[in-house]
Amino acid sequence: MNNWEYAESIESEKIVKIEKKYGHFINGEFVSPNSKKYLDTISPSSEEVLSSISIGNEKDVDFAVNAAKEGLKQWSKTPPSERSKYLFKLARLIQERSREFAVLESLDGGKPIKESRDFDLPQVAQNFFYYAGWADKIDLAWGSGISKPYGVVGQIIPWNFPLLMLSWKVAPALATGNTVVLKPAETTPLTALLFAELCDEVGLPKGVFNLITGDGTTGSELVNHKDIKKIAFTGSTSVGKYIQKSLAGRDVGLTLELGGKAANIVYNDAALDEAVEGVVNGIFFNQGHVCCAGSRLLVQEDIHDVFINKLEKRMQTLRVGNPLDKNTDIGAINSKDQLEKITDMVNEGVSDGGELFQIECELPKNGFWFKPSLFTGVQVNYKIATEEIFGPVLTTLTFRTPDEAVEIANNTEYGLSAGIWTEKGSKILWTADRLDAGVIWANTFNKFDPASPFGGYKESGFGREGGRHGLLSYLKASS
Amino acid sequence: MTEVKKTYKHYVDGKFIRSESGKVYAIDLKKEKYEIPLTSKKDLRDAVTSSKAGFAKWNSLTMYNKSQILYRLSEMIEGNKESYIALLQQHGLTKNDSKNDVEDAVNTIIWYAGIVDKWEQLTGNLNPVAGEYFNISHQEPIGVTFSLSSDDISLNSLVKSFLPPMSVGCSVISFSNQNAVLALKLSEDINNSDFPSGSLNILTGNFENIVEDVGAHVEIRLAAIYSNISNDLLETLDVKGSDSVKRIVNLPSDEGLGSIIPFVETKTVWHPKGQ
Repeated sequence: MNNWEYAESIESEKIVKIEKKYGHFINGEFVSPNSKKYLDTISPSSEEVLSSISIGNEKDVDFAVNAAKEGLKQWSKTPPSERSKYLFKLARLIQERSREFAVLESLDGGKPIKESRDFDLPQVAQNFFYYAGWADKIDLAWGSGISKPYGVVGQIIPWNFPLLMLSWKVAPALATGNTVVLKPAETTPLTALLFAELCDEVGLPKGVFNLITGDGTTGSELVNHKDIKKIAFTGSTSVGKYIQKSLAGRDVGLTLELGGKAANIVYNDAALDEAVEGVVNGIFFNQGHVCCAGSRLLVQEDIHDVFINKLEKRMQTLRVGNPLDKNTDIGAINSKDQLEKITDMVNEGVSDGGELFQIECELPKNGFWFKPSLFTGVQVNYKIATEEIFGPVLTTLTFRTPDEAVEIANNTEYGLSAGIWTEKGSKILWTADRLDAGVIWANTFNKFDPASPFGGYKESGFGREGGRHGLLSYLKASS
Repeated sequence: MTEVKKTYKHYVDGKFIRSESGKVYAIDLKKEKYEIPLTSKKDLRDAVTSSKAGFAKWNSLTMYNKSQILYRLSEMIEGNKESYIALLQQHGLTKNDSKNDVEDAVNTIIWYAGIVDKWEQLTGNLNPVAGEYFNISHQEPIGVTFSLSSDDISLNSLVKSFLPPMSVGCSVISFSNQNAVLALKLSEDINNSDFPSGSLNILTGNFENIVEDVGAHVEIRLAAIYSNISNDLLETLDVKGSDSVKRIVNLPSDEGLGSIIPFVETKTVWHPKGQ
């Protein structure tokens, strides 16, 4: 391996203008919070305070939900073809300002600019473009018996793909005729706040999209509001269960997109170099802050040593550092809390007896960082093999037969995604049929598309986002 | 000659059994009073064990085979039509209403028998992703399903509470209260229709006695409530179910494609295209 150094290539921060303080976006305008409380949002790569955002309390949430109720009157009278045009316009505006959004996303969340620029933002725009076209074709999607919107929808999104998750939630909800109160994650609210400005710019009717910022208490107020007709949540399984419990006995629709512990199965007849790339992308994409990350490598026993050797070599080429450097592969861990969780889990993995490999690299002094890590010599009952780490940490298990691979892969409460690597077509189909997972990548990993449904089996949640199936999350069946 | 009175029993794992608790409850019909098995927590657990094995068996049959088994159920009912009409009349329905209900039930079964090998062509599709990938979304049955049937005295309502999950490949524990005699009579024809053991189990009793266990049992993947239950019961079921992210469907649609959508999971598979 050569040691050629890369010259820095830093994307300028000057393109973004961040206000010192933000209110909520309710009824088409930014308003100061009733709570009069704020919290800082920082850059996880420098720990520098970027801005202060409002913490929504019960009254703030009530104000937003009422605005969405009023907005619904106007939105339900808006012809579907006109709803469609608003969404097309939003897609175009996002494309035009995508560089600004990408820099803001990387600053506030810590993800590498090459990902926010080349993955998140193009997907966000495409997602609005895709669902825009559905707005006036809802009757065709699932028949006229399944074509009515819920009404006011509460949406709570996570910090790993802030604007992308906004687009997964907001675009289908508006296309199907619902109005929205959205709460972004407390550590990554800035791109959602910029998106609110765009809604104003395209002239979206007041109250159709409302944004309320804050922490877990704000989300809880939203879930418990009496006039919410549907909750869509993406985040951890524990919070998902809490939300499902909170809604017990209430006639409120619910879709949950929760955690995962995906098996990435590498058979001995796989194209190994391609599989190495796929495994690396599967776990180190977005610092491993991905619910569908391929965090359990299941490698067939007879190729274990050769595969791990190739994998470690490839991992060593990953560049960890400034998210705004265009050469960076692995950015900052999203928050101090998350870094502590990852560190604790990895320490536990070592004390359980796992063999840890970490790449040699220098980490920046400020900010939150974790070296790309690989565990081998792991038993199936170790915590690192069963629980979601949500960081750049890959756990290796071995198997001898396809049956055993499937058994290990399914031996989890989660069921979000899985990967299969083999050159044999019949083995792909055989394996895919038997895996309990909502998304299966064969000879690829972590591919997403607005036209492709995403969502889990078992405790990874229920409902789908994306594609024709994603419409079902925002439509009620009328009998 | 003294008339012989039938003893009604649960139908679990292809066998007619009493409640392990020995407990019963009474259903008073016009001519006869029947002592019906009262499901205990242990009965439910046993039924789940059977349904789990039954799911593997039922789901492994081809759609064509499943379709024929459902169709055979309609043939069995047709052959015993007069006895169903008589039983419904015993529940207080008029002869005409009873006849219509049995005919509706046969028609419903035939509708679902006919959709078994077609629904996936309506719910699945290729996805036109922006790239060189083969990408397909298809559906799989969620698995062991608990179904609380409607309390209507209606064979048609009863079959509508288990056909939607059965037709997509789920195994079902069908639970009845006021329509228990009807459900247990139907189990005899179910037994004659070549259903694999455990694919469709029939229990009777008081839902209140087992609601917490239905919610908490992680092997029950979905609970479908076709009866109007109290808000307290629903809340208990939801709270218990949330611990395992259980799918709970209150008053699902009972016709058309909308009736089967709650019982399927969508699986999306990607593969690159290349040389």
